[in-house]
Amino acid sequence: MDPENTPLGRMLLEEITPVIMVLNTPLVEEACLKNGLSFIQMLSPFCSFNNIDVPVRTASDQPYRIKKFSSRLFYGSDIRQPNFEASKERLKQVITQASEKDLSKLCSDPPQINEAVDCFESAILPSWFQLFNKELIRNVSFSEHEAFDHPVACLLVVSSSDDHPVNKFVDLFNTIKLASLLNDDAMDPKIMKHYLLLHDNQDGSSEKASKILTEMRSAFGANDCQLLSINSSHDELIEREDDPWGLFKPDVLIGKQLGCFLSNEDLIEIRELMQDFSSKHIIPYMEQKIRALNQQVSATRKGFRNQIKNLWWRKGKEDTVDSPSGPTYTYNSIESQIRVLGDYAFMLRDYELALSNYRLISTDYKLDKAWKRYAGVQEMMGLTYFLLDQSRKEAEYCMENALNTYLKMGPSGHLNATRCGLWSAEMLKAREQYREAAAVYFRICNEEPLHSAVMLEQASYCYLLSKPPLIRKYGFHLVLSGDRYKRMDQIYHAIRTYRNAVAVFKGTEWSHIKDHVHFHIGQWYASLGLYDVAVTQMLEILDCNHQSKATQELFLKDFLKIIQKAGKTVKVLKLPLPKISISSLKVIFDDHRTYASPTAANVRESVWRSLEEDMIPSLSSGRTNWLELQSKIMSKKYKESNICVAGEPVKVNIVFKNPLQIPISISCVSLICDLSSKSDGTKSDTNNITAGFQNNTELKWSSDWEMGSNNASFTSTEVHLSLEGNEEKIVQLTVTPKIEGILQVVGIRWKLSDSIMGFHNFINNLGQKNIAKGRQKVKYSLADNLKFIVIKSLPKLEGSILSLPKVAYAGDLQRLVLELTNQSKFSVKNLKMKISQSRFLKIGKQENMNADFPACLEKPINGEQGVRPIPNTTSNDTFLFPVDTSIQGGTPLLLPLWLRAAVPGNISLYISIYYEMEGVSDIMRYRILRMHYNIQVLPSLDLSFQVNPCPSRLHEFLVRMDVMNKTSSEVFQIHQLSSIGQNWELSLLQPVDNIFPSRALMPNQALSCFFVLKNVNKLFSSEKKVSSVPVLLGSDLKLGSQSSDEQLFDTANFPLAAFHYSERAYQGTSNQDLNTVDFILITRPLKNTTDPGVSESSRLFSHHVCHCSTSSNSPISWLLEGPRSSYHNFSSSFSEINFKMTIFNSSDSIASIRIKTIDSAEGNESAPPSPSSANQTGWHYASLTQDIKVTSDVLGAQMAKSSSLESVSPFIWSGTSSTTLQIEPNSMAEAPLQICIFSPGIYDLSNYILQWKLLPSSRSGNDETNVSSGTCQGYPYYLTVLQSN
Amino acid sequence: MIVCVAVVGHQNNPLYIQSFTEADDALKLHHIVHCSLDVVDERVNNPRKSGPTLNETFLGLLYPTENYKVYGYLTNTKVKFIMVTTDLDVRDADVRNFFRRFHAAYVDAVSNPFHVPGKKITSKTFAESVSTIVKSFGFSSAI
Repeated sequence: MDPENTPLGRMLLEEITPVIMVLNTPLVEEACLKNGLSFIQMLSPFCSFNNIDVPVRTASDQPYRIKKFSSRLFYGSDIRQPNFEASKERLKQVITQASEKDLSKLCSDPPQINEAVDCFESAILPSWFQLFNKELIRNVSFSEHEAFDHPVACLLVVSSSDDHPVNKFVDLFNTIKLASLLNDDAMDPKIMKHYLLLHDNQDGSSEKASKILTEMRSAFGANDCQLLSINSSHDELIEREDDPWGLFKPDVLIGKQLGCFLSNEDLIEIRELMQDFSSKHIIPYMEQKIRALNQQVSATRKGFRNQIKNLWWRKGKEDTVDSPSGPTYTYNSIESQIRVLGDYAFMLRDYELALSNYRLISTDYKLDKAWKRYAGVQEMMGLTYFLLDQSRKEAEYCMENALNTYLKMGPSGHLNATRCGLWSAEMLKAREQYREAAAVYFRICNEEPLHSAVMLEQASYCYLLSKPPLIRKYGFHLVLSGDRYKRMDQIYHAIRTYRNAVAVFKGTEWSHIKDHVHFHIGQWYASLGLYDVAVTQMLEILDCNHQSKATQELFLKDFLKIIQKAGKTVKVLKLPLPKISISSLKVIFDDHRTYASPTAANVRESVWRSLEEDMIPSLSSGRTNWLELQSKIMSKKYKESNICVAGEPVKVNIVFKNPLQIPISISCVSLICDLSSKSDGTKSDTNNITAGFQNNTELKWSSDWEMGSNNASFTSTEVHLSLEGNEEKIVQLTVTPKIEGILQVVGIRWKLSDSIMGFHNFINNLGQKNIAKGRQKVKYSLADNLKFIVIKSLPKLEGSILSLPKVAYAGDLQRLVLELTNQSKFSVKNLKMKISQSRFLKIGKQENMNADFPACLEKPINGEQGVRPIPNTTSNDTFLFPVDTSIQGGTPLLLPLWLRAAVPGNISLYISIYYEMEGVSDIMRYRILRMHYNIQVLPSLDLSFQVNPCPSRLHEFLVRMDVMNKTSSEVFQIHQLSSIGQNWELSLLQPVDNIFPSRALMPNQALSCFFVLKNVNKLFSSEKKVSSVPVLLGSDLKLGSQSSDEQLFDTANFPLAAFHYSERAYQGTSNQDLNTVDFILITRPLKNTTDPGVSESSRLFSHHVCHCSTSSNSPISWLLEGPRSSYHNFSSSFSEINFKMTIFNSSDSIASIRIKTIDSAEGNESAPPSPSSANQTGWHYASLTQDIKVTSDVLGAQMAKSSSLESVSPFIWSGTSSTTLQIEPNSMAEAPLQICIFSPGIYDLSNYILQWKLLPSSRSGNDETNVSSGTCQGYPYYLTVLQSN
Repeated sequence: MIVCVAVVGHQNNPLYIQSFTEADDALKLHHIVHCSLDVVDERVNNPRKSGPTLNETFLGLLYPTENYKVYGYLTNTKVKFIMVTTDLDVRDADVRNFFRRFHAAYVDAVSNPFHVPGKKITSKTFAESVSTIVKSFGFSSAI
């Protein structure tokens, strides 16, 4: 790339050009101002030539041609270092002017960062940067250490109307108006002078002017004098193809065309004048000067000798001069001359010559510690290298060196450093070293915020332009720059930078940075009154839970302030406060399923389904009933959408979450709904409606939806709430359609802090997720799920259970009231009810409603123990209401409901009531009321029974009851123990007072007591058929205080019996085993004397233990009957004693029983005898040592003797040693037994066994688990035989 | 003194950023860490040709600013660790050692079965161990 065509090259060709000092009289200026231009302005467009084509010969003998040439014109008074304050003001003006242009652009959305990366440099960089940079560079013009700003020529201009023009020329140059540079020896005062006479044609003919010109020519020389006539045009409207002054201040003299009096001839004349001046005077003068200087330099400095000399001379000088700015050099010092030579050569584009001179002088300056001059020369070297397009490294090194040197100089060098940096950055940019350029820009930032803001912004663009782009640094520098702009109140620029930065941080998770950017840009927009944009920006930072609480408060406060300033209710589609959890969206509505409470609606549909399975008519059959009546379209429509009933609310539950730590207040939360009347709905297809909704949603935001609440076709609720920090709240919103049609829930709206209206559209989230609504198993889209077909209003049953406790102790029996109401005037009929846990709840009879509790449960004193069947429960626990039950018109139906807390735990009770409406709607024939209650049941009494056969009596059993109070505070009073079953009779073993001295069971107290249970049923008689209807007759035992008048409770009557029946069903197999017995223990809480207010007496606890087996592991029981003592004279003979064994077979199959008597006591050695040893038959020797020892200590010696004598056993069984019997099921048989005794003593007749075997019968072939055979050891039976005399 | 440490996920999303200064300069440090990601990207995309640095996790000095030095470290899973220090003469070995321990702490934190990969690290234990490592930086190079 040609260095001269780079931006820097162009800039250098423009800026480092010969300066022409203009000295003029006021009349000259006056004449020019008629055109709205100053003299310099008038000339300057004609100062640069693109094709001047002048041959130039500098130091070398080889001439070359210059194509482009330009020069700069300055008034003599301007040739001095610019005023710092004024230049600062000018810079500020440049920035301010630039800002006002692009206000509209500011409000637009920031560009995407990817697009920005792909843009060209020119598209990204604001154009005023160049202007600004130029101004910055001009700040340091006319420095004494640089020669290229020193005037090359002086143009003296005098008007033809001046008096004594020739004298004026002399005066002009001699006055003190001369530039300070010329005065303080910094430059050669002997400069080329050119004399120009300006003639205004409006003032008169040119004759006078030409006369003066001849005068001038004679005075100053013919070549150096020229005449310029202007204002020759009288017509103010001259059409020019291109306006040469187009670049100049358009704001001056608006309405008057610039240069209006200048005819085309005038312009040509001016151009020719300048071309002539440049080519014939300036360039030759510079050539000449270069040659002269070069000669001088060569003479003094070139060559080995001169170098040595110079070095020597410098060293000597070093010690003497030590001022901070280095030594001063006058124009005629050799250093200055070398510099001038270099600069002139540079301006005439003899870069080689320039470079060699710069090099030469730079070492000198360095040795002299003339840092500013050194840096200036280094700078020029860098530029020369650049323009030569030679060693890049050298160029960079020189620029770097210059920049460092300037910066080292401290504040005085800053402006120069800035210029140097700008050039250096431009140079790097031209070579696409953007990162280095950015670094340079960053370095030349100084304390002045405005200046550094622009530098940082330029640096940021360099980062963006570098390959690969450093986006993050771009963003960072933009932010830095924006901050500085803000500090200088350049809001527009601040917004511009931040706007670009927003694009950088968009989509990242660097929330701190993002918040900062959005917050500030929001505030700035607000300060400009652009509230809409401000709000959009501020919305980004509202959800800032990562920030500290104070910051959150600040953000919210500022946001609200902006909203307030905006002065209207702002509507925001996606307001981030509060957070709405779409996944929490839950719709509750009643179609044919109605819910008594929200908790009931939350229960899974499958639970209800399984409960209602056999209660409701099957769906298909229900459908066909009305399908026949309706058209196909209708049926499809109803099948696929949700149905709700006019007048019944559709509830939407949604979770609002406050992400902030500070409380926020939300008001006017309501649903946005759309209800189209039925006629529209039926005409168009449902799908079209859905599509229509989706398409129209965006349009509808502002218009319809705000009006929604005013819509007469439905009412929706408004909820106000305030959320604490990080709080989540479920908000229930309802909409109640009033007319038939199609109701679509579209979204939700709310007001934050009473000022911002937020919307959330549910349907926009379509397709993202398929919300399982819990109740809706079929996969619908969300929009479909939120669409309802409203049908006309139907009767609806409402129900509740009054006074249901939340917590109860196990066994607690309470009477509750079920209340059913129907507000509609239509009656509902055919009520059916089903309870999930019939073990817990029983429905009582309506006539018992007002009876006293618990007195109504008491056994009538003289009442007959009639057989009463359990009330109307069908096999699957569906309770059918009486046929004539109908509820309407708001009068409640009250039903007693019995609750018994059966088992400990958290129990969910589901109650479902089915009812039918008569002739109201074809779409819905029946509805279901679903009720759900939770009850916590605490453990109370731990009750267990153990039943053992009584050895001494047949059909009698010993019952051990273990009861333990597991509560921590309750004291129970044991009231009654009942055995259930008509063939059992319970009696006390001991008086009650012995068992329960206190009659109360303290917390954690355990108690065991014994009872006798007697089987009173004459089973061996013919009446042994067990009725299939369970008749709960039993015997009750009062365990409370006997003296009190408390009545026994009737366990055979409705609630207790019904519960018992359920318990039986739950606690075990339901087969009617006659050998099991059920017990009911009824306790009451101890009358609380300290707190009489609580009516504890009304409470009742019943504990049911079922299926306590009376039989041991064998189905047979027997009893050995005979004398307990006898007298016999053993001297005469041995004694024979007869016994009778009664054997009872309690199984339901025929038992074959073998009675074996064992005379040998072999088995006794290991007691109890194992069945294997007992299987031995025949006669065996056995000693009875053990028996005797146990039985009688008195006879111990004798027995010991007998054993030692190995005597035979003192008695033997006579008769057959084995008897086999066959006993029918549930019957008894008797077998005679006899023993022979040979001596007096006490005998234990337990040495027999009963082997039993159940013969499989056709009736019960399925009892594989039952023992089919076994052996029983005989009971101890003691017989005392005494010697009779 | 270390003024800031950060863990940045492979999508350049901040996973953990903690400053250890008294002053309220969190924003500045965020910016510095964010900017240094540019350099990390550059280092990763244009690795130095020399062999041994190919598998090197330690990225070295990323971003010298006036007051800070920024060092980087890149794990195999493209998770970046950034450390900003005010010490102007830091021994390379110290920094390497710091990052090694930091990496170990990070591995412990993300091994938590309840940690969701790619989400911010909220573990208190991690924060504690990081602050321990930061405090011990420069004192014990032997560990």
